[in-house]
Amino acid sequence: MNGRGPVGPPRSGPVRSPATRRAGGDPLIRLFHVSKSYGPGSVALRDLSVEVRKGELVFLSGPSGAGKTTLMKLLFAAERPTEGQILVLGRNVARLGERRIPALRRRIGVVFQDFKLIQTRSIEENVALALQVLGRPPREVRSKAFAMLRRVGLQHRRHELPAALSGGEQQRVALARALVNEPAILLADEPTGNLDAELTIEIMDLVAAAAARGTTVLVATHDQALIRRYARRTLRLAGGRLLEDIPGGSI
Amino acid sequence: MIASFHQIVYFVRTAVGGLRASPLPTLVSIATIALAVVPLGGLLIITGNMGALLHRHGESRQVTAFLDADLTPDAESALARRAAELDDVTRVELVTREAALERFRERLGGGALLDALEENPLPASIEVTLASGAARGAAAEAAAAALRALPGVEEVAGGEAWVEGYARALALVRSAGLALGAILAVATLLIVANTVRLAVYARRDELEILALVGASRTFLRVPYLIEGAIQGTLGGMLGVGLLYALFQIAVPQLGDALDLFLGWSQPEFLSSARSALLVASGAGFGLLGATLAVARTRVS
Repeated sequence: MNGRGPVGPPRSGPVRSPATRRAGGDPLIRLFHVSKSYGPGSVALRDLSVEVRKGELVFLSGPSGAGKTTLMKLLFAAERPTEGQILVLGRNVARLGERRIPALRRRIGVVFQDFKLIQTRSIEENVALALQVLGRPPREVRSKAFAMLRRVGLQHRRHELPAALSGGEQQRVALARALVNEPAILLADEPTGNLDAELTIEIMDLVAAAAARGTTVLVATHDQALIRRYARRTLRLAGGRLLEDIPGGSI
Repeated sequence: MIASFHQIVYFVRTAVGGLRASPLPTLVSIATIALAVVPLGGLLIITGNMGALLHRHGESRQVTAFLDADLTPDAESALARRAAELDDVTRVELVTREAALERFRERLGGGALLDALEENPLPASIEVTLASGAARGAAAEAAAAALRALPGVEEVAGGEAWVEGYARALALVRSAGLALGAILAVATLLIVANTVRLAVYARRDELEILALVGASRTFLRVPYLIEGAIQGTLGGMLGVGLLYALFQIAVPQLGDALDLFLGWSQPEFLSSARSALLVASGAGFGLLGATLAVARTRVS
């Protein structure tokens, strides 16, 4: 259990696992004593300090209510922390003004368990959205969306609506949309929660490939088999606390 | 955020797609704006024509002296010569009783009614044109008084009394128009705002997804503002079209009544500029209603 063990709330700063220290990149995500409460008696995160470096693939594990989704939401500024500071890509998300949130999100790809695809738009249009908000020329939008769909193996179905696709295929579209803009960070909240074992591996291979290309990836999952299979750094949460920061090699 | 050309194209396409996705609320909104534009435009037509009549009268420098019925033609000519010698008079025309009857017959467009008369009821008159500058105020009053003092002149009409009353009526119609316009504007704004708000709620998931991929507030809202402006423009155009159709139907029907009201001048429809202003007002209502609707929309 080298480098593994309970993690207390060190007031001095974020926790770095040995694996993190070995990673060569700069820390892209840093949390300092972050707490999030939705009201009295409803604390989602308690005094969380952690650091994730460029190019890391990190699993967030824990049972329902552990705080995985809340942590994800804090990172892309869908929620604000009650206490503490969060640095993402050098920006203090805790203090980020409303008008600056879109610029942050353009550098973060997000994937959800329920895919969050626009059902009235084609597969290609869904993927293209991430480029259209940047005002890219239509030719560039089409060519990048096509290339991304080819990477996830769905270029031949680009004109179809999401409802015509299976769950695994829809998640591949969501992943394509999240990655088409070449984001620095990919957040995936239970991306394989609705998929069978075979499709889970298919999606996770795509996620791991993104990390291999230099994207920092956080995957929230309660699937222990998945964590064991990929054997990457894992932050184990329970009751809103960080219980363990397990380096990849130890799993 | 300054939108690129590609984004503007995207905004317009999204707005048109949004309108087509919810045809019924869109049609209700367009019809509401059209129905607000019709009475407003109607008032503009009425006040415009009444104003034009007042303007014509103000420009006219004519005073008419009606003569006693028992004057001989020679006496009438002598009176006309004396009128021509008065101050500020530049031109005098004697209108005999026969000429007056002929004019009246022409204005009525036929003489069936007049043919039934046993005797010509119209008096002879002298139409006096005053020098410019003397047509209004004290100079006009003095010219009218001098004419009235001539023996054989029964009555002098410069139109001052009716002009004043007519002007008051016009002011009243304009005030009523403003009040009606304000009420219609508020009602229209509320309906457009509700239509756009419904569209926002119907596409809430879509907005949330757009926000997730980094769409700015402007990017999220502009399509709805364009939707409102399109609805307003179409409503304005439909309203002006309806108004024109009503005008074409109503004017021949009202015929003689309008002749009397507008002083035997052909009523005119709105000018192109005023029609464009009405359409622009519709667009403005639509845009403002949409702005109200999206102002409170919050997407996380």
